[in-house]
Amino acid sequence: MVRITFFFIFLAISVFARTGVYQKNCIPCHEDMAVKIDKFFYRYLLKYSSEMEVKNAMSKYLKNPKAENSILVDGLINRFGVKKKTTLSDEQLQEALDTYWEQYKVFDKLK
Amino acid sequence: MLALKNWDINLRSREKKTLRSFLLLYAFLTLLILAFVAFLYYGLERDLMLQNQRETLSNLTNEQITRLKALHINFEKEQTYPRDERFNSAIYDSSLKQIFSTLNTKKVNLYEDIYLKNNHIYFIKELESYYLGARYIVLEVPEPRVWDKKVFRKLLGYGALIFMVLVIIGYFLLNLLLRPMRDTIVLLDRFIKDTTHELNTPVNAILSNIEMIDTQTLDENLLKKIRRITIASKTISNLYDDLTYLILSHQILSQDVQVDLKTLIEERIEYFSLLFESKKIELSVNLEEGIFLTIDHKKMAKLIDNILSNAIKYNKIGGTIHISLTKHSIEIKDSGRGIEKSKINQVFERYSRFDRSVGGFGIGLNIVASIAKEYDLQVKIDSILGEGTTVRISW
Repeated sequence: MVRITFFFIFLAISVFARTGVYQKNCIPCHEDMAVKIDKFFYRYLLKYSSEMEVKNAMSKYLKNPKAENSILVDGLINRFGVKKKTTLSDEQLQEALDTYWEQYKVFDKLK
Repeated sequence: MLALKNWDINLRSREKKTLRSFLLLYAFLTLLILAFVAFLYYGLERDLMLQNQRETLSNLTNEQITRLKALHINFEKEQTYPRDERFNSAIYDSSLKQIFSTLNTKKVNLYEDIYLKNNHIYFIKELESYYLGARYIVLEVPEPRVWDKKVFRKLLGYGALIFMVLVIIGYFLLNLLLRPMRDTIVLLDRFIKDTTHELNTPVNAILSNIEMIDTQTLDENLLKKIRRITIASKTISNLYDDLTYLILSHQILSQDVQVDLKTLIEERIEYFSLLFESKKIELSVNLEEGIFLTIDHKKMAKLIDNILSNAIKYNKIGGTIHISLTKHSIEIKDSGRGIEKSKINQVFERYSRFDRSVGGFGIGLNIVASIAKEYDLQVKIDSILGEGTTVRISW
């Protein structure tokens, strides 16, 4: 009984947690990757600096993924390959990127 | 050469005003130029100081960047911004948004390279890799001690020296400017002096000869003519006295005695009696007895003569003159043509004349003013154009 309750609670949390575009469309794939999703973020940050430029670069890549405009180093690209083109609409993509930014941004986190 | 010695006294107020304006303008311009040069020099010194600081600051910035790099790599575990007691710092992203700052100021000019503000030096560097998204890093260090005091001391010293040199040059420039003016005054004084010398002998000859004429034996017609000659001669004689006073006043030693003013005024009225008669002026006199003043007799007579002669000269035919003497003042009131209000302040200036229809050099009231000044008497002139003038000497 206790186990079943826990299972349902876990299921509920998982379902509720994955309501956003980002959680539904980004996390599942990235979860299984050797390079974690936050590493991608800090790589983008290292190259593009501001919120606007980071989001623009990500959006550009996701809409048209190519080895040349990937943030990953050649070794990793060769190993893991280039992802498929996004199926998300512009609005959805934007929402996903906003969530991504909010989660990993440096602002207000530094002490 | 007398005028040269006393040129500053002789200059009219308008000329003095011009001089004052010139000096003010000159000083202002000099200071403006000096301030501009000082500003440039200060800027150069400041840049030099900043250049000297640049290398140290660049090294400190590199240290900070290394720490940021470490933080970037371990950001999941560690989120404390690296601090250093030698400096404050801040990081900004490429849209110039502040990521984190320990600076004392909120406003930083990221377009500058290095600059000084509120006693702090700010050094800005652009990062090659944007650790933590930071494109710009700003370092803030306190400015080196006393560097500006040294500069200010230098500026003040040299500034004062240059200002003094410029003031001396200005003085010579002013002399150059004044030369034509002084030359004119010298010329005029010399002309009057020469004229005076030439007047003296003939006037004395005329007056002494008239006095020798026995008027009892003359017929009415001739007596009238003699009187006219007397008036004319006295006018010239007065003028001569004025001019002599003007030229030699600085060499005449005053012999102050107790002067009975009533007697003196009566004497002077008597002296001018023929002039009063000739202009049919009605004279009313109200003189208090026993009023004495310690003054040079000749100078007091000159003062009264000048006021009286003006009262007669500018009066109309059949006009009135009222003379009153009280304990602290003499008042001479005429029914003449009056003086314009705007010109009353200029009447004491030498050679100033407002009415060229009557003779004169415009020196009478200048003499009055100089005597009044010597004996600390106040001269007050009230005048209504077309109605008359009241001159009041008080002590």
